[in-house]
Amino acid sequence: MIGIVVVSHSPRLAQAAVDLAVEMVGADGPAIAIAAGAGDGVIGTDAFKVAEAIAEVSSPEGVLVMMDLGSAVMSAEMALEFSDDPDVPVRLSSGPFVEGLMAAVVRAAGGATLDEVDREARGALRAKQSHLGDEDPAGPPADSGPAAEHAIEVTLLNPDGLHARPVSMLVTALSVFEATVTVANLRTGKPPVTASSPTALLTVDARKGDTISVAAAGRQAVEALEAVSDLVGKGFGELGADSARAHEPVPSLSQPPARSSSGAPSSGPLGVSPGLAVGPIVRMPEKPDEPGPAAALPVSEREAAAEQIVAAAASVARALRDKASRVSGAARGILEATALMAADPGLIDAAVSRVTLQGDTPERAVWAAVGEVADVFTQQGGLLAERIPDLHDVRDRVVSELLGRPAPGLPDRVEPYVLVARDLAPADTALIDPTVCRAIVTVEGGPTSHTAILARALGLPAVVAARDAMELPEGSVVIVDGSTGEIVVDPSGDQVARAEEQHSRVITFDGTGRTRDGHRVQLLANVASPDSVAAAIEANAEGVGLFRTEFCFLDHAEAPGLDEQVAAYRQVFAGFPGKKVTIRTLDAGADKPLAFVTAADEVNPALGIRGYRTAWQRPELLDTQLQAIAAAAAAENAVVGVMAPMIATVDESVDFAARCAAHGLRNVGVMIETPAAAITAGPILERVDFASLGTNDLAQYTMAADRLMGELAVLNDPWQPAVLRMIREACEAGLAAGKPVGVCGEAAADPMLAAILVGLGATSLSMSPRALGGVAEFLRGVTLTRCRDAAIAAVAAGSAGAARSAAALLLEPTPA
Amino acid sequence: MTNDTINLDQLTGWLTRFRDLVTEQVSYLTELDSAIGDADHGSNMTRGMGAVVEKIQASPAGTVDELFKGAGMTLVTSVGGASGPLYGTFFLRIGTTAGPVASLDAPGLAAALRAGLDGVVARGKAEAGDKTMYDVLAPALDAFDAALLASSDITSAAAAAYSAAQTGRDATEALLARKGRASYLGERSIGHIDPGAASTSLLFQALTEILGEE
Repeated sequence: MIGIVVVSHSPRLAQAAVDLAVEMVGADGPAIAIAAGAGDGVIGTDAFKVAEAIAEVSSPEGVLVMMDLGSAVMSAEMALEFSDDPDVPVRLSSGPFVEGLMAAVVRAAGGATLDEVDREARGALRAKQSHLGDEDPAGPPADSGPAAEHAIEVTLLNPDGLHARPVSMLVTALSVFEATVTVANLRTGKPPVTASSPTALLTVDARKGDTISVAAAGRQAVEALEAVSDLVGKGFGELGADSARAHEPVPSLSQPPARSSSGAPSSGPLGVSPGLAVGPIVRMPEKPDEPGPAAALPVSEREAAAEQIVAAAASVARALRDKASRVSGAARGILEATALMAADPGLIDAAVSRVTLQGDTPERAVWAAVGEVADVFTQQGGLLAERIPDLHDVRDRVVSELLGRPAPGLPDRVEPYVLVARDLAPADTALIDPTVCRAIVTVEGGPTSHTAILARALGLPAVVAARDAMELPEGSVVIVDGSTGEIVVDPSGDQVARAEEQHSRVITFDGTGRTRDGHRVQLLANVASPDSVAAAIEANAEGVGLFRTEFCFLDHAEAPGLDEQVAAYRQVFAGFPGKKVTIRTLDAGADKPLAFVTAADEVNPALGIRGYRTAWQRPELLDTQLQAIAAAAAAENAVVGVMAPMIATVDESVDFAARCAAHGLRNVGVMIETPAAAITAGPILERVDFASLGTNDLAQYTMAADRLMGELAVLNDPWQPAVLRMIREACEAGLAAGKPVGVCGEAAADPMLAAILVGLGATSLSMSPRALGGVAEFLRGVTLTRCRDAAIAAVAAGSAGAARSAAALLLEPTPA
Repeated sequence: MTNDTINLDQLTGWLTRFRDLVTEQVSYLTELDSAIGDADHGSNMTRGMGAVVEKIQASPAGTVDELFKGAGMTLVTSVGGASGPLYGTFFLRIGTTAGPVASLDAPGLAAALRAGLDGVVARGKAEAGDKTMYDVLAPALDAFDAALLASSDITSAAAAAYSAAQTGRDATEALLARKGRASYLGERSIGHIDPGAASTSLLFQALTEILGEE
């Protein structure tokens, strides 16, 4: 994508013009740098600043410089003399500042070349001239390309017709097709204009109810017209908002803005995770402030005050233990440790002493006593210092208890609720239970905030930037629309019923995964133990794409014996007679340590002895496991495949295939979870029968971002174009070798991403059983061609967000 | 006082004196600019030349090209308005044409000034009668060159140039602005002296004064 530099006398003017232009493309636009003002608030321009701005956004595709007037032009010219990178073509555009900038940003976002963007910017006054009737007689009609081969006529449904936003969507959508498209308004009878030009499209002056004629030529002419028809048919996504507004029977918190998904600060609530949910509001209580100084308590009251501390600490410890008993895994450990801290006699004694000896108020005593311990922890550093946040959590809880306020942090609920918070810390979001919390609304945050990412991962509707959300009364029922950002307070019974229905709608999978045009994609279940077989069968899974075997080994001091393993594996195989079950050999290490195979002292466990590497040290464990798998497969009728985790080299694949062969196992594959395996998938697939992509680890290793760290969630996103490229690499190797390559990571459970994976060439998708219905339904709504086009666009995108937007634009189901 | 050459001290003095003059005349220049522009020419030039002199005083130049390149660069980044790139280019071209020398003789100075004028034309695309600094710079340099045909004395050539500059400056009053923001005023720009022309005339006043000293 080309870069754009904006040169103006006034920083405010430049910023405002950029804001206006960026509204059209959101966060996925070109890199834009501003060179405005001459420093120290002086209105003017500075050639050096311009040169710096050019360097900042420089790209091999070039840089377009938009200027206001006078010295801006001259400073830009001087800057060209200072910028001497021969590999970066820089063009000064004579286009008008505001209109030209807007046209340039939109065209650049669509991936147009420097020439095309400049041409667009220079012609950017056309819309205004045409509107005001002083059209340039030599105005540029549509490029006289090849004769149109296909044409459709469609009627505009959205309230404002082809205004800026729909035009931007149209140009962006069409930019991925190999087709020349023109648009003419049958009402005005003016000659057609090219649909690659946003300003030309604006001159079409098409309003609601106008019929436009759209003609296309080129290899993908039909697809291009289909895309136009989709967009127009859906009213460019503006129909829903309009009708919702029109029929609004109850006050809503605020009018949501059109969903621009702009990275810029938005003025109103922003839907960041789609879905509809209803529930009573539970506000996340805020942390207490440090208690202020108070007069010393009279001696007569001190004993009672000390008792309060003891009682409050006990109550907090009890609540934390209760909470711990209701969760599992890492969260449980954290809560149990925090409960122990709250009950710590040393801490309680220190606080009590402050009350009895100095007459501190209980809350001040607790605050100070914890402060002293935290100081010691800080001095000790290391692991102790890492516990300070837990210590502060205990302090906040005990002080809140003493003050008679609700405990800070996530509300402790068992009934469904809508969580309203100022903002959510990663630690808070990790504890959210999606079966109880129905939706998340935050005052702060944006589309890429931690809340947004986590909410999407949990499948919870979420709205961020809801400025007034904390003023909504606790307990009042709201409907949260995570798509539009709308929050309806005290909805009618009908509205609640509709929302409930949508929330609880279970989409059932009919047992045959396929796209709209019949392309088969096996939809399989991930199974972690014999206990989860029932859910997979109930969900009509076509088989098991990932049977994890760690359950057999966990809680064992030594490896389980052959018979124990055979019995366990048979339970799963028995559930799928005649169906595929792909079993994965032991994947220990990193976040799944096992006492007898993994060392406790690895500096970097994620890059240590894990996955298949444990077989280097304990080959007999693998042999026993393969023997058990072979025996279990022989005793049951499942179509068993066996695969090894965390393969990095061809040699490992050869070694694994040989060991499997020794046990008579025929259908042998490997997991592709490392970039090394992805880019050598070709040679690896020469040695094995299939491969399965583990997208969670593949994302972690491709992005060099620990998948357990909430702060890195933005990087640990399978939509990252780098990760998509890795997946494409592996899938293409599979297509070339004629061998199946499936996906068994979280990515497969995201319906839209599943379609992209299909477009990239994945032959099967394996996911948690509850995701099967949604993925199956989505795939039914799209053609393979559409999946492929969307995959191309997503892979070519500049960011995870852009990949998601491009996919959304191309994959939204056509109305029946 | 005649001069066959002009040395680094005198050239430095020229820029310093130019700074003094624009500073003294800041209200006048601003007043001219408020009539047909954005009322910042006086303060822009004062700030820009102030920065130039400050820089020279902090680290005196060792050669003529160093002096003028430094001055040009400083103006480009400190003036803000169109005079930044225009005067900046003027001085930059003087510097590159003069080269790493300690003094200039009359033809050398004439060539450097001419290169500066060419730079201004390239940058501003102005022509005679557009009501810009060109309408002072061009006749002043023509007079400078003409004087040098009669004698190699830089002092008298500078005096001739200053005289032509004043004439050129005053002549801009009757012109219709065709460049810069003043051009937006159309007919209304007539009747006002162009502020850029006025500051350019000060440039030649400074040169005359510095050569006349001693």
